[in-house]
Amino acid sequence: MNISHHLTDETLQDYACGSLDPAMETLIACHLTVCRKCREREAVADAVGGVLLVEQEEVAVSGLATEVLERARLGGVSASAGAKVADRVADRVADRERRLTCSDAPRPLARLLPRNLDDLAWRRVAPGIRQFNLSTRHRHDGAFKLLHLSPGVTLMSHGHADRELTYVVRGSYTDAYGRFNSGDIADLDESSAHRPVVDADEPCIALIATNSPARFRGIFGRIMQPFVGI
Amino acid sequence: MNTTVPGPPETRPESDSDPALVLRKRMSRNLAAIGEHRDEAAFADLYGYYAGRVKSFLMGKGMNEDAAEELMQEIMLTVWRRAESYDPTKAAVSTWLFTIARNRRIDYLRGNSRIEVELDDEMLDLETTEDDPQERYVSNAQSAELLEAAMARLPQEQRQVMHLSYYRGQSHGAIARWLDLPIGTVKSRIRLAMQSVRSYMSDAGALPGSESDEREV
Repeated sequence: MNISHHLTDETLQDYACGSLDPAMETLIACHLTVCRKCREREAVADAVGGVLLVEQEEVAVSGLATEVLERARLGGVSASAGAKVADRVADRVADRERRLTCSDAPRPLARLLPRNLDDLAWRRVAPGIRQFNLSTRHRHDGAFKLLHLSPGVTLMSHGHADRELTYVVRGSYTDAYGRFNSGDIADLDESSAHRPVVDADEPCIALIATNSPARFRGIFGRIMQPFVGI
Repeated sequence: MNTTVPGPPETRPESDSDPALVLRKRMSRNLAAIGEHRDEAAFADLYGYYAGRVKSFLMGKGMNEDAAEELMQEIMLTVWRRAESYDPTKAAVSTWLFTIARNRRIDYLRGNSRIEVELDDEMLDLETTEDDPQERYVSNAQSAELLEAAMARLPQEQRQVMHLSYYRGQSHGAIARWLDLPIGTVKSRIRLAMQSVRSYMSDAGALPGSESDEREV
Protein backbone atom coordinates (compact mmCIF):
# COMPACT_ATOMS: atom_id res chain seq x y z
CA MET A 1 0.00 0.00 0.00
CA ASN A 2 1.40 3.34 -1.03
CA ILE A 3 0.50 5.86 1.64
CA SER A 4 0.88 9.55 0.92
CA HIS A 5 -1.47 11.24 3.42
CA HIS A 6 -0.76 10.80 7.12
CA LEU A 7 -2.01 11.74 10.57
CA THR A 8 -1.04 15.13 11.98
CA ASP A 9 1.08 15.36 15.14
CA GLU A 10 -1.83 16.97 16.98
CA THR A 11 -4.09 14.02 16.25
CA LEU A 12 -1.42 11.42 17.05
CA GLN A 13 -0.78 13.19 20.31
CA ASP A 14 -4.48 13.27 21.22
CA TYR A 15 -4.57 9.55 20.48
CA ALA A 16 -1.52 8.92 22.66
CA CYS A 17 -3.09 10.96 25.47
CA GLY A 18 -6.25 8.85 25.31
CA SER A 19 -8.51 11.83 24.75
CA LEU A 20 -10.39 10.68 21.65
CA ASP A 21 -13.66 8.79 21.26
CA PRO A 22 -13.95 5.25 19.83
CA ALA A 23 -14.95 6.54 16.37
CA MET A 24 -11.78 8.65 16.00
CA GLU A 25 -9.70 5.84 17.52
CA THR A 26 -11.07 3.41 14.93
CA LEU A 27 -10.01 5.59 12.01
CA ILE A 28 -6.58 6.19 13.52
CA ALA A 29 -6.06 2.49 14.22
CA CYS A 30 -7.06 1.68 10.60
CA HIS A 31 -4.44 4.04 9.24
CA LEU A 32 -1.80 2.90 11.75
CA THR A 33 -2.42 -0.69 10.63
CA VAL A 34 -1.35 0.10 7.07
CA CYS A 35 1.21 2.85 7.81
CA ARG A 36 4.41 1.88 9.55
CA LYS A 37 5.66 5.46 9.53
CA CYS A 38 2.71 6.71 11.59
CA ARG A 39 3.06 3.71 13.94
CA GLU A 40 6.61 4.83 14.64
CA ARG A 41 5.48 8.40 15.27
CA GLU A 42 2.79 7.12 17.60
CA ALA A 43 5.37 5.09 19.52
CA VAL A 44 7.34 8.29 20.09
CA ALA A 45 4.18 10.03 21.32
CA ASP A 46 3.64 7.14 23.79
CA ALA A 47 7.24 7.40 24.98
CA VAL A 48 6.78 11.14 25.54
CA GLY A 49 3.89 10.18 27.83
CA GLY A 50 6.30 7.92 29.72
CA VAL A 51 8.88 10.68 30.17
CA LEU A 52 6.21 13.07 31.41
CA LEU A 53 4.88 10.40 33.80
CA VAL A 54 8.30 10.19 35.42
CA GLU A 55 8.33 13.98 35.78
CA GLN A 56 4.82 14.01 37.22
CA GLU A 57 4.53 15.41 40.74
CA GLU A 58 3.69 12.58 43.13
CA VAL A 59 0.57 12.62 45.29
CA ALA A 60 0.15 10.61 48.49
CA VAL A 61 -1.36 7.17 48.09
CA SER A 62 -3.26 5.38 50.85
CA GLY A 63 -2.85 1.81 49.59
CA LEU A 64 0.36 -0.05 50.39
CA ALA A 65 2.09 -2.30 47.89
CA THR A 66 1.42 -5.25 50.22
CA GLU A 67 -2.31 -4.50 50.16
CA VAL A 68 -2.34 -4.52 46.37
CA LEU A 69 -0.52 -7.86 46.41
CA GLU A 70 -3.09 -9.13 48.89
CA ARG A 71 -5.81 -8.22 46.40
CA ALA A 72 -3.87 -10.07 43.72
CA ARG A 73 -3.87 -13.19 45.92
CA LEU A 74 -7.60 -12.86 46.58
CA GLY A 75 -8.13 -12.63 42.84
CA GLY A 76 -9.88 -9.27 43.08
CA VAL A 77 -10.39 -8.61 39.42
CA SER A 78 -9.35 -11.93 37.96
CA ALA A 79 -12.93 -13.18 37.54
CA SER A 80 -13.84 -10.28 35.31
CA ALA A 81 -10.45 -10.52 33.64
CA GLY A 82 -11.22 -14.17 32.89
CA ALA A 83 -14.57 -13.27 31.40
CA LYS A 84 -12.85 -10.66 29.30
CA VAL A 85 -10.41 -13.22 27.97
CA ALA A 86 -13.29 -15.57 27.10
CA ASP A 87 -15.04 -12.71 25.31
CA ARG A 88 -11.91 -11.91 23.43
CA VAL A 89 -11.49 -15.52 22.31
CA ALA A 90 -15.12 -15.60 21.11
CA ASP A 91 -14.51 -12.30 19.34
CA ARG A 92 -11.46 -13.72 17.64
CA VAL A 93 -13.35 -16.71 16.31
CA ALA A 94 -16.23 -14.62 15.00
CA ASP A 95 -13.75 -12.18 13.69
CA ARG A 96 -11.74 -14.71 11.77
CA GLU A 97 -14.76 -15.77 9.77
CA ARG A 98 -15.72 -12.18 9.09
CA ARG A 99 -12.23 -11.18 8.13
CA LEU A 100 -12.19 -13.59 5.22
CA THR A 101 -14.89 -11.51 3.58
CA CYS A 102 -13.57 -8.10 4.60
CA SER A 103 -10.20 -8.06 2.95
CA ASP A 104 -10.18 -4.29 2.36
CA ALA A 105 -11.01 -3.41 5.95
CA PRO A 106 -8.29 -3.27 8.62
CA ARG A 107 -9.33 -5.20 11.73
CA PRO A 108 -10.50 -2.18 13.79
CA LEU A 109 -13.09 -1.48 11.05
CA ALA A 110 -13.80 -5.13 10.17
CA ARG A 111 -14.87 -5.73 13.78
CA LEU A 112 -17.70 -3.22 13.36
CA LEU A 113 -19.09 -4.67 10.13
CA PRO A 114 -21.83 -7.31 10.08
CA ARG A 115 -20.70 -8.54 6.66
CA ASN A 116 -18.62 -7.96 3.57
CA LEU A 117 -18.27 -4.35 2.40
CA ASP A 118 -20.13 -5.10 -0.84
CA ASP A 119 -23.02 -6.79 0.93
CA LEU A 120 -23.63 -4.12 3.55
CA ALA A 121 -27.15 -2.73 3.79
CA TRP A 122 -26.11 0.57 2.23
CA ARG A 123 -28.70 3.32 2.43
CA ARG A 124 -29.02 5.65 -0.54
CA VAL A 125 -28.89 9.28 0.55
CA ALA A 126 -28.39 11.13 -2.75
CA PRO A 127 -27.65 10.16 -6.35
CA GLY A 128 -24.37 8.21 -6.31
CA ILE A 129 -24.05 8.48 -2.52
CA ARG A 130 -24.81 5.59 -0.20
CA GLN A 131 -23.94 5.30 3.45
CA PHE A 132 -23.69 2.78 6.24
CA ASN A 133 -24.00 4.24 9.73
CA LEU A 134 -21.66 2.85 12.37
CA SER A 135 -23.18 4.82 15.21
CA THR A 136 -26.62 6.16 15.98
CA ARG A 137 -25.20 8.24 18.80
CA HIS A 138 -23.64 10.65 16.34
CA ARG A 139 -26.83 11.74 14.59
CA HIS A 140 -26.81 15.31 15.77
CA ASP A 141 -23.29 16.04 16.89
CA GLY A 142 -21.15 14.61 14.13
CA ALA A 143 -20.84 11.34 12.27
CA PHE A 144 -19.26 7.90 12.23
CA LYS A 145 -20.11 6.15 9.01
CA LEU A 146 -18.97 4.56 5.79
CA LEU A 147 -19.70 6.41 2.56
CA HIS A 148 -20.01 4.61 -0.77
CA LEU A 149 -19.47 7.13 -3.55
CA SER A 150 -19.97 6.34 -7.23
CA PRO A 151 -17.44 7.43 -9.86
CA GLY A 152 -17.87 11.09 -10.76
CA VAL A 153 -19.65 12.03 -7.53
CA THR A 154 -18.69 15.36 -6.00
CA LEU A 155 -19.44 16.04 -2.36
CA MET A 156 -20.52 19.53 -1.49
CA SER A 157 -17.83 21.84 -0.21
CA HIS A 158 -17.87 21.69 3.56
CA GLY A 159 -15.86 22.35 6.68
CA HIS A 160 -16.25 21.43 10.33
CA ALA A 161 -16.13 23.21 13.66
CA ASP A 162 -13.75 20.49 14.82
CA ARG A 163 -11.64 17.60 13.54
CA GLU A 164 -12.82 15.49 10.60
CA LEU A 165 -10.99 12.26 9.82
CA THR A 166 -11.49 10.35 6.56
CA TYR A 167 -9.90 6.97 5.94
CA VAL A 168 -10.04 5.66 2.37
CA VAL A 169 -11.02 1.99 2.49
CA ARG A 170 -11.26 1.38 -1.25
CA GLY A 171 -10.91 3.46 -4.41
CA SER A 172 -9.84 7.09 -4.32
CA TYR A 173 -10.95 10.72 -4.31
CA THR A 174 -9.34 14.06 -4.98
CA ASP A 175 -9.77 17.42 -3.29
CA ALA A 176 -7.70 20.56 -2.79
CA TYR A 177 -5.29 18.59 -0.56
CA GLY A 178 -4.45 16.04 -3.24
CA ARG A 179 -5.37 12.53 -4.25
CA PHE A 180 -6.40 10.14 -1.50
CA ASN A 181 -5.98 6.43 -2.16
CA SER A 182 -6.82 3.37 -0.15
CA GLY A 183 -4.95 3.53 3.19
CA ASP A 184 -4.59 7.32 3.16
CA ILE A 185 -6.10 9.42 5.91
CA ALA A 186 -7.35 13.00 5.61
CA ASP A 187 -6.84 14.69 8.97
CA LEU A 188 -8.66 18.02 8.70
CA ASP A 189 -9.22 20.59 11.42
CA GLU A 190 -11.52 23.53 11.91
CA SER A 191 -9.51 25.68 9.55
CA SER A 192 -10.00 23.41 6.53
CA ALA A 193 -12.80 22.94 4.05
CA HIS A 194 -12.89 20.50 1.15
CA ARG A 195 -14.91 19.34 -1.85
CA PRO A 196 -14.01 15.71 -2.56
CA VAL A 197 -14.48 14.32 -6.11
CA VAL A 198 -14.43 10.60 -6.90
CA ASP A 199 -11.87 10.68 -9.66
CA ALA A 200 -11.54 7.06 -10.82
CA ASP A 201 -13.71 4.47 -12.56
CA GLU A 202 -14.37 2.52 -9.41
CA PRO A 203 -16.48 3.60 -6.44
CA CYS A 204 -14.77 5.08 -3.41
CA ILE A 205 -15.54 3.69 0.02
CA ALA A 206 -14.47 6.00 2.82
CA LEU A 207 -14.80 5.83 6.58
CA ILE A 208 -15.45 9.17 8.23
CA ALA A 209 -15.65 10.46 11.78
CA THR A 210 -16.42 13.96 13.00
CA ASN A 211 -17.45 15.37 16.33
CA SER A 212 -19.37 18.24 14.84
CA PRO A 213 -21.83 18.59 11.98
CA ALA A 214 -20.50 19.65 8.60
CA ARG A 215 -20.74 23.29 7.70
CA PHE A 216 -21.80 23.29 4.08
CA ARG A 217 -21.11 26.20 1.84
CA GLY A 218 -24.10 27.46 -0.11
CA ILE A 219 -27.84 27.08 0.21
CA PHE A 220 -28.09 23.77 -1.68
CA GLY A 221 -25.62 22.17 0.67
CA ARG A 222 -27.53 23.35 3.69
CA ILE A 223 -30.76 21.89 2.27
CA MET A 224 -29.04 18.55 1.61
CA GLN A 225 -27.26 18.39 4.98
CA PRO A 226 -30.00 16.57 6.92
CA PHE A 227 -29.91 13.80 4.33
CA VAL A 228 -26.19 13.33 3.90
CA GLY A 229 -25.43 14.19 7.48
CA ILE A 230 -21.65 14.31 7.41
CA MET B 1 11.64 32.41 28.48
CA ASN B 2 13.86 29.52 27.69
CA THR B 3 14.93 29.76 24.07
CA THR B 4 17.06 26.63 23.84
CA VAL B 5 17.12 25.39 20.28
CA PRO B 6 17.30 21.60 20.00
CA GLY B 7 20.56 20.62 18.37
CA PRO B 8 22.47 17.43 17.78
CA PRO B 9 22.98 15.42 20.95
CA GLU B 10 26.32 15.38 22.68
CA THR B 11 27.56 11.98 23.58
CA ARG B 12 27.02 11.65 27.27
CA PRO B 13 29.27 9.19 29.03
CA GLU B 14 27.26 6.38 30.57
CA SER B 15 27.89 6.87 34.18
CA ASP B 16 26.41 5.06 37.12
CA SER B 17 26.29 8.37 38.92
CA ASP B 18 23.53 9.67 36.62
CA PRO B 19 20.53 9.28 38.94
CA ALA B 20 17.98 9.12 36.10
CA LEU B 21 19.91 6.29 34.44
CA VAL B 22 20.36 4.41 37.71
CA LEU B 23 16.65 4.72 38.38
CA ARG B 24 15.69 3.52 34.89
CA LYS B 25 17.89 0.46 35.28
CA ARG B 26 16.47 -0.29 38.72
CA MET B 27 12.86 -0.09 37.49
CA SER B 28 13.67 -2.24 34.48
CA ARG B 29 15.24 -4.88 36.78
CA ASN B 30 12.19 -4.68 39.04
CA LEU B 31 9.79 -5.34 36.21
CA ALA B 32 11.92 -8.22 34.93
CA ALA B 33 12.03 -9.74 38.44
CA ILE B 34 8.24 -9.51 38.77
CA GLY B 35 7.77 -11.14 35.39
CA GLU B 36 10.25 -13.90 36.06
CA HIS B 37 9.54 -14.90 39.64
CA ARG B 38 6.79 -12.70 41.10
CA ASP B 39 9.33 -10.80 43.15
CA GLU B 40 7.33 -8.95 45.82
CA ALA B 41 10.19 -6.72 46.94
CA ALA B 42 10.70 -5.63 43.33
CA PHE B 43 7.00 -4.84 43.11
CA ALA B 44 7.14 -2.81 46.32
CA ASP B 45 10.00 -0.75 44.89
CA LEU B 46 8.21 -0.20 41.56
CA TYR B 47 5.01 0.69 43.41
CA GLY B 48 6.84 3.10 45.68
CA TYR B 49 8.08 5.00 42.67
CA TYR B 50 5.08 4.89 40.33
CA ALA B 51 1.92 4.67 42.47
CA GLY B 52 1.92 8.36 43.45
CA ARG B 53 2.69 9.43 39.89
CA VAL B 54 -0.02 7.27 38.34
CA LYS B 55 -2.56 8.55 40.88
CA SER B 56 -1.46 12.10 40.17
CA PHE B 57 -1.94 11.46 36.43
CA LEU B 58 -5.51 10.23 37.06
CA MET B 59 -6.39 13.16 39.33
CA GLY B 60 -4.89 15.64 36.87
CA LYS B 61 -7.29 14.24 34.29
CA GLY B 62 -10.18 15.16 36.56
CA MET B 63 -10.80 12.02 38.62
CA ASN B 64 -11.64 12.51 42.31
CA GLU B 65 -9.20 11.21 44.90
CA ASP B 66 -11.08 8.05 45.90
CA ALA B 67 -11.68 6.94 42.32
CA ALA B 68 -8.07 7.77 41.42
CA GLU B 69 -6.73 5.72 44.36
CA GLU B 70 -8.93 2.77 43.41
CA LEU B 71 -8.01 2.87 39.73
CA MET B 72 -4.32 3.40 40.52
CA GLN B 73 -4.38 0.16 42.55
CA GLU B 74 -6.08 -1.63 39.65
CA ILE B 75 -3.40 -0.32 37.31
CA MET B 76 -0.59 -1.50 39.61
CA LEU B 77 -2.35 -4.85 39.90
CA THR B 78 -2.35 -5.05 36.10
CA VAL B 79 1.38 -4.33 36.18
CA TRP B 80 1.88 -7.21 38.66
CA ARG B 81 -0.16 -9.61 36.55
CA ARG B 82 1.19 -8.67 33.15
CA ALA B 83 4.83 -7.99 33.97
CA GLU B 84 5.95 -10.96 31.87
CA SER B 85 4.48 -9.33 28.77
CA TYR B 86 6.83 -6.36 29.16
CA ASP B 87 9.47 -6.44 26.44
CA PRO B 88 12.45 -4.23 27.34
CA THR B 89 13.57 -4.23 23.69
CA LYS B 90 10.32 -2.52 22.66
CA ALA B 91 9.71 0.24 25.18
CA ALA B 92 10.98 1.90 28.35
CA VAL B 93 9.31 0.92 31.66
CA SER B 94 7.85 4.44 31.91
CA THR B 95 6.28 4.12 28.44
CA TRP B 96 4.82 0.72 29.29
CA LEU B 97 3.34 2.06 32.51
CA PHE B 98 1.97 5.15 30.80
CA THR B 99 0.16 3.05 28.18
CA ILE B 100 -1.31 0.72 30.83
CA ALA B 101 -2.51 3.66 32.93
CA ARG B 102 -3.97 5.41 29.89
CA ASN B 103 -5.74 2.29 28.63
CA ARG B 104 -7.16 1.27 32.02
CA ARG B 105 -8.47 4.79 32.49
CA ILE B 106 -10.27 4.52 29.14
CA ASP B 107 -11.70 1.09 30.11
CA TYR B 108 -12.90 2.56 33.38
CA LEU B 109 -14.47 5.69 31.90
CA ARG B 110 -16.33 4.22 28.97
CA GLY B 111 -16.54 0.50 29.60
CA ASN B 112 -14.85 -0.51 26.37
CA SER B 113 -11.24 -0.67 25.37
CA ARG B 114 -9.16 1.79 23.43
CA ILE B 115 -9.22 0.86 19.74
CA GLU B 116 -5.70 -0.10 18.71
CA VAL B 117 -3.78 -1.73 15.89
CA GLU B 118 -3.98 -5.51 16.12
CA LEU B 119 -0.55 -6.92 15.53
CA ASP B 120 -1.87 -10.08 13.86
CA ASP B 121 -3.94 -8.10 11.34
CA GLU B 122 -3.11 -9.43 7.89
CA MET B 123 -3.30 -5.87 6.55
CA LEU B 124 -0.50 -4.77 8.90
CA ASP B 125 2.20 -2.90 7.01
CA LEU B 126 5.22 -5.01 7.85
CA GLU B 127 7.90 -3.31 5.82
CA THR B 128 9.96 -3.36 8.98
CA THR B 129 10.88 -6.69 10.48
CA GLU B 130 11.64 -7.41 14.10
CA ASP B 131 15.38 -7.11 13.68
CA ASP B 132 15.28 -3.97 11.58
CA PRO B 133 17.38 -1.32 13.36
CA GLN B 134 14.70 1.27 12.59
CA GLU B 135 12.38 -0.28 15.13
CA ARG B 136 14.88 -0.03 17.92
CA TYR B 137 14.40 3.65 18.69
CA VAL B 138 12.51 3.25 21.95
CA SER B 139 14.01 -0.11 22.59
CA ASN B 140 16.58 0.42 25.29
CA ALA B 141 17.81 2.62 28.07
CA GLN B 142 19.83 4.68 25.64
CA SER B 143 16.77 5.71 23.62
CA ALA B 144 14.86 6.53 26.78
CA GLU B 145 17.77 8.71 27.78
CA LEU B 146 17.83 10.36 24.35
CA LEU B 147 14.13 11.08 24.55
CA GLU B 148 14.53 12.64 27.98
CA ALA B 149 17.36 14.80 26.68
CA ALA B 150 15.27 15.80 23.66
CA MET B 151 12.36 16.74 25.90
CA ALA B 152 14.64 18.70 28.23
CA ARG B 153 15.76 20.82 25.29
CA LEU B 154 12.28 21.92 24.30
CA PRO B 155 11.44 25.56 24.89
CA GLN B 156 9.35 26.06 28.04
CA GLU B 157 6.28 27.13 26.03
CA GLN B 158 6.29 23.81 24.15
CA ARG B 159 6.82 21.73 27.29
CA GLN B 160 3.93 23.50 28.94
CA VAL B 161 1.54 22.66 26.10
CA MET B 162 2.73 19.03 26.05
CA HIS B 163 2.27 18.71 29.79
CA LEU B 164 -1.22 20.20 29.69
CA SER B 165 -2.41 17.84 27.00
CA TYR B 166 -0.87 14.66 28.43
CA TYR B 167 -1.40 15.26 32.12
CA ARG B 168 -4.26 17.70 32.46
CA GLY B 169 -6.38 15.98 29.85
CA GLN B 170 -7.18 19.21 28.13
CA SER B 171 -8.29 19.60 24.53
CA HIS B 172 -6.27 21.92 22.34
CA GLY B 173 -9.16 24.38 22.48
CA ALA B 174 -9.20 24.34 26.30
CA ILE B 175 -5.43 24.81 26.42
CA ALA B 176 -5.74 27.75 24.04
CA ARG B 177 -8.39 29.39 26.27
CA TRP B 178 -6.39 28.63 29.43
CA LEU B 179 -3.22 30.18 28.04
CA ASP B 180 -5.12 32.90 26.18
CA LEU B 181 -3.58 31.91 22.86
CA PRO B 182 -5.04 31.24 19.41
CA ILE B 183 -5.70 27.51 18.93
CA GLY B 184 -3.39 27.54 15.89
CA THR B 185 -0.52 28.57 18.17
CA VAL B 186 -1.20 25.68 20.56
CA LYS B 187 -1.25 23.21 17.66
CA SER B 188 1.90 24.58 16.13
CA ARG B 189 3.71 24.28 19.50
CA ILE B 190 2.68 20.63 19.68
CA ARG B 191 3.82 20.06 16.12
CA LEU B 192 7.15 21.79 16.72
CA ALA B 193 7.71 19.85 19.93
CA MET B 194 7.05 16.47 18.30
CA GLN B 195 9.21 17.37 15.30
CA SER B 196 12.10 18.52 17.51
CA VAL B 197 11.93 15.33 19.54
CA ARG B 198 11.89 13.15 16.43
CA SER B 199 14.67 14.99 14.67
CA TYR B 200 16.85 14.98 17.80
CA MET B 201 16.39 11.24 18.03
CA SER B 202 16.97 10.59 14.35
CA ASP B 203 20.14 12.71 14.41
CA ALA B 204 21.32 10.38 17.16
CA GLY B 205 20.50 7.40 14.97
CA ALA B 206 17.63 6.28 17.17
CA LEU B 207 14.94 6.97 14.59
CA PRO B 208 14.74 6.64 10.82
CA GLY B 209 15.34 9.91 8.91
CA SER B 210 13.17 12.88 9.77
CA GLU B 211 11.09 12.64 6.59
CA SER B 212 8.09 12.94 8.87
CA ASP B 213 8.63 16.67 9.14
CA GLU B 214 6.76 17.36 5.93
CA ARG B 215 3.33 18.93 6.32
CA GLU B 216 0.72 16.23 6.62
CA VAL B 217 -2.90 16.68 5.66
